[in-house]
Amino acid sequence: MNFRPTSLRLLHTLPVFLLANCGLQKDIDIELPSGPAQLVAECYLEDGITPRLTVTETVPYLSTTETITLPEVTVVLTLPNGTHDTLQYAPGLDRRTRKTYTHISKRRLTARPGNTFQLDITDKQGRHLTGTATMPTTIPIESVEWKFNDKPEGERQAYVLARFQDPANTTDFYRFQIHKNFVNKDTESDYNVDDRLTNGQLVTLGTSYRFNPQDTLVISLYHIDQPYYQFMQSTDDARSANGNPFAQPSAIRSTVQGGVGVFTVLNYQRKTVILK
Amino acid sequence: MRFRLLLFVSLLGLLVVSAPLPAWAQARFTLSGYVRADSKEALPGATVAAPALGTGVTADSTGFYSVSLPAGTQDLVISFIGYQTLTRTINLTKNQRLSFSLASANNELGEVVVQGSGTLEQKLRAPQMSVERLTAREAKLLPALFGEVDILKTLQLKPGVQNGGEGTSGLFVRGGSADQNLFLLDDAVVYNPSHLFGLFSVFNSDAVQSVDLYKGGFPAQYGGRLSSVVDVKLRQGNPEKIGVSGGIGLISSRLTVEGPVKKGKGSFLVSGRRTYFDIFTRQINKLNEGSPDYNPIPDYYFYDFNFKANYKLGDNDQVFLTGYLGRDIFGFNSTNGFNISFNWGNTVGSLRWNHVFSPKLYVNTTVSGTDYKYQIGNQLDQFGFGISSNIRDQAIRTDFDYALSKRHALKFGATVTNHQFGVGRLNANSGDGTLNINSDVHYTGQEAGVYISDNFRVNKNLQLDYGLRLTGFQSGSDHFGGIEPRFAGRYSISPKTSLKLSYAQMYQYVHLVTNSGATLPTDIWYPSRLNVKPQRSQQVATGVSFLLGNGKFLLTDEVYYKWAHHQVDFRDGAQLFANSDLDAEFLFGNGWAYGNELYLEKKQGRTTGWIGYTLAWTKRKFPPQRGTTGINNGETFYPTYDRRHNLTAVVLHQLSTRFNLTGSFVFSSGNPTTLPQSRFIYQDIYGANYNVVPVYPERNSYRLASYHRLDLGVVYKFRPRHGEQDLTLSIYNAYNHRNPYFIYFDQVKDEQTNLVIGYRARQVSLFPVIPALTYNFKF
Repeated sequence: MNFRPTSLRLLHTLPVFLLANCGLQKDIDIELPSGPAQLVAECYLEDGITPRLTVTETVPYLSTTETITLPEVTVVLTLPNGTHDTLQYAPGLDRRTRKTYTHISKRRLTARPGNTFQLDITDKQGRHLTGTATMPTTIPIESVEWKFNDKPEGERQAYVLARFQDPANTTDFYRFQIHKNFVNKDTESDYNVDDRLTNGQLVTLGTSYRFNPQDTLVISLYHIDQPYYQFMQSTDDARSANGNPFAQPSAIRSTVQGGVGVFTVLNYQRKTVILK
Repeated sequence: MRFRLLLFVSLLGLLVVSAPLPAWAQARFTLSGYVRADSKEALPGATVAAPALGTGVTADSTGFYSVSLPAGTQDLVISFIGYQTLTRTINLTKNQRLSFSLASANNELGEVVVQGSGTLEQKLRAPQMSVERLTAREAKLLPALFGEVDILKTLQLKPGVQNGGEGTSGLFVRGGSADQNLFLLDDAVVYNPSHLFGLFSVFNSDAVQSVDLYKGGFPAQYGGRLSSVVDVKLRQGNPEKIGVSGGIGLISSRLTVEGPVKKGKGSFLVSGRRTYFDIFTRQINKLNEGSPDYNPIPDYYFYDFNFKANYKLGDNDQVFLTGYLGRDIFGFNSTNGFNISFNWGNTVGSLRWNHVFSPKLYVNTTVSGTDYKYQIGNQLDQFGFGISSNIRDQAIRTDFDYALSKRHALKFGATVTNHQFGVGRLNANSGDGTLNINSDVHYTGQEAGVYISDNFRVNKNLQLDYGLRLTGFQSGSDHFGGIEPRFAGRYSISPKTSLKLSYAQMYQYVHLVTNSGATLPTDIWYPSRLNVKPQRSQQVATGVSFLLGNGKFLLTDEVYYKWAHHQVDFRDGAQLFANSDLDAEFLFGNGWAYGNELYLEKKQGRTTGWIGYTLAWTKRKFPPQRGTTGINNGETFYPTYDRRHNLTAVVLHQLSTRFNLTGSFVFSSGNPTTLPQSRFIYQDIYGANYNVVPVYPERNSYRLASYHRLDLGVVYKFRPRHGEQDLTLSIYNAYNHRNPYFIYFDQVKDEQTNLVIGYRARQVSLFPVIPALTYNFKF
């Protein structure tokens, strides 16, 4: 189990907290190092869902440009049976995920655990981004339970626990999320773990006391592959380094080659509970 | 390998051919004894010199000295920083035991250092170079952050020594990293020498006698770290009468009790201090209890205790007992029921037996132990979670000093250390047994070293100090060894000009596992094993010293070049905690450091101080390896502690017998830091909120603005009926310069729409002008 996101991270932010209270700040003009823009791809394949993809490129950090879309890139998805699906440039908003995308397929995807997909993106500048992703196996959530604290009515809050069985013969990675009511809104809890210390065991993941009576919670357990786990870890580290003088800035560990970004196949289990 | 063998044989040969010559011309006798303060406290490091003969010795850690002199009348100069120089004429007709007592230069509290020219002359004549000696008395006079006197921060004012960031006590010596310093407290290793994430050192100035910092030309008795040795000696306590001293400061208070164990037989000293942030924060939390939006301020404090006692068993035997216990305590109770406790600290102890076989031969044998650990505990309802790490050593060492002849003084000895590395312990469990995770990664290691060195006075102008240290380390079935030649030499061009040269090879068998920009209490010590080879460095330095102004000033210019091999770092995203395969996370590279240090010091008269200027480069290179592109794609980069220019000026002026004025000024080039080149938008699986992710190109490719600061201090001494009292005013950063600490980036939002319209860089400074008043007393 990886405990970096919880206690150690909190403790490493302690000096920042202490220093911030003495801190004096001012705006400064600086000239940052420059370099060529890199292709950025973000794509999550899901069984039964039409593939959508966002292709952009990196922009200078202090640029006023928020993001750049690239209409002239060619995006090809190779399915497990070897057929190629060229995604069309058709920017839009996916209402299900509340995400913008730049390219979309014409048909729904069929994905089964063990299926491998390939992504190939080229543009007229000669940039070439590739990626390969395999759908992980399904890990069921065995139970979800919660417990309220002893505080007076009106102040009572509950913690939530979810349990699942980790497979013994493989190195596994998970993403655990809890949303209130809808999954396309902010998460209440979101962290990643590996099974380094819990291999083959019944794993318990949970929260602190933070939920109110009658809350409707959606608990999601994603079984993910190592590249996606490392990508999330590195983006988290890179973002945390901004404003933390004790952090060593981390390079992004993309799941793709020839650019930056993530290409993965999702497999998750989900349970909805009402805290009573 | 052939080179090493050749060097080894050459050194042995030099030892043989430089064996004692038969006594001729004039009979010589050995003069030996102790140098003590007028309070009878021993003065380690005091010098006993015969200027007319161009000879002299330094008292050892017990204050014992032994010097071979020609028969007849000799003029001696006995001196020590902070004490009045004593001149004595003796008629030497036989081997003689003679102890000296030095009077304090002023009273005990905050006196200006007055020092005889003998010490500067000794420094000029000593073959040892690249060494800085500082007494707690000096450190106490200088202005300090929050008025907290810190001997390590005072060392940062010496050339060749960089700090790790504003206000921190970490030392980066001649391009070495923070873990490459060997901190010794009365011969016992201290693994984490700081409190509060490096803002304060663990060395309580009330208990410290002196500190020696070796930057290069390391004597053969020291080993185990690449870049420096910080040898801290505690005071032995007043052997004449019970005394109480202490101070009340802005953030902490101190109390020291000392006195005789049995008059004439020994003495003791107990010193403690504690911060009191927590007393105020608890009150603030109490006042805000029940406020719906109030987040309690975490509890934090640190304390430490020092203990030292010595007892004379007989004319030739004395024992010394030293103890240190320090803890940083942090506690946090969140409003959602998640409680965290976090404490860390050192426990150190040593017992030393000093035995004098004869005026020419004595030995110190020390048994010591040290333990550094941190513990984190979380509790939520029935769930408990704990992580901890520690390093624990048990060591024994013996050091002989043998005045072989008038021209040869040998030092030889051996040391053995048993290391226990608690690399990571983790447990998570629940009351109902549904959660039960335990992990314990630990190793042991044994480190040994033997050494011999000879201080060879070839003639009046040429003096050599050369030696050899052989070291070995084993962890499990892995064995490593090293040959460490040491050399230092001085040639006097004239009575006031010396040329010096030194060379040292060092091995380091234990490594600090950290991937942060600074050392944190959660960093882990790790042994050399499997693929993690020992770190190694070679340093050559040369310099010239001039005694100027009728002996009042010493101007020194030193240049150095250091090669560092098998330097360690970690791959991006390395899992450093509770990892049984931590070896796989290491990356290895090489380093180089070179520079020039110019140093002018004045230690005589009412106005004393020094000016130091360092021009230096430090570089690291980690080529592609172990399935990675290395660091910085294998290109050379500057570590964060690389500073091109560093200027320090320290002035102490005795205005009157009751007023002392002090000031220090620091200027240094900006330190390298890593800033992002570009960014991209990361929406995640669901796009409720997108993230802006920075892309970092090369490591440390940007430099912060230069750093400069002026500190001022005033010491006013009262005239109480009993004892001594003073009031010390420190003004840190007197002209309130906003020095850069780090840079971060912030979104700029449209006030109307709240949409992001750009980004801006913001520079954070840590400390504005901070005045602090400290009251010190002694009864």
